[in-house]
Amino acid sequence: MLLAPSRTAGYNPRVPPVSQTIRVKVLFFGRLKELAGHAEDSAEFHEATTIEQLFALYAARLPELAKYRSSVVASRNQEFAAWDTPLRTGDEVAFLPPVSGG
Amino acid sequence: MATLPHDDIYQLVREPIDMAALARHVRAPEDGAIVTFDGFVRNQSHNRTTLYLDYEGYESMALAKMREIGAQLHEKYRIHRVAMAHRLGRLEIGETSVFIAVSAPHRAAAFDACRFAIDTLKRTVPIWKKEYFADGAVWADGELPAAPSATPRAKPAS
Repeated sequence: MLLAPSRTAGYNPRVPPVSQTIRVKVLFFGRLKELAGHAEDSAEFHEATTIEQLFALYAARLPELAKYRSSVVASRNQEFAAWDTPLRTGDEVAFLPPVSGG
Repeated sequence: MATLPHDDIYQLVREPIDMAALARHVRAPEDGAIVTFDGFVRNQSHNRTTLYLDYEGYESMALAKMREIGAQLHEKYRIHRVAMAHRLGRLEIGETSVFIAVSAPHRAAAFDACRFAIDTLKRTVPIWKKEYFADGAVWADGELPAAPSATPRAKPAS
């Protein structure tokens, strides 16, 4: 999926401006994978974007996904990450529901 | 992060976990105790009869988190070796989904470390189970791992 530049993304002073295209890999797991309809996607941006804004883009198209926002944790490059983490090209972002291994 | 001793084992597997081999692996002449945890598939959940479970994992991150737990064990407890395996895919009733073995010179550290390992695994390792019943399937309730609430702000230059 090619996501258009986010129009909902307001100016965020913590995110440096970028002129290059940012390409990230996006992964969904568990019930989020079922809601999203796929396990893996790629997204492209032409302006600074955070993990929160990335999730919001999917949630805007998939209202079911939006309902789970408070019970999702995000990771960036296999580390749990804050929602305001800015994306860099080549990042692997994953949206993770509550874990239930063991 | 502390580096792990090379003789620890951390693995995700799709075949039955060889518990005896893992327990044997952590056993060494200088130790006096091994504590193991064998987590296996229960035949019911919330008063419903379970048919089987299906586990999926974010494999690269799950392995990284299992190794992180191992590093914490070696920092916190006087233990010798750790073996930690989690199985993925379809598991039938009674099959082992997770197995942890910890060896130590003395039993107290091995008990404490094994308990810490399984408790931490269940809170932080990105693995999910779907429970299949006669009349449907649900993703098991889980725990939301703690994540940083905000990225650290850049400190102003002084």
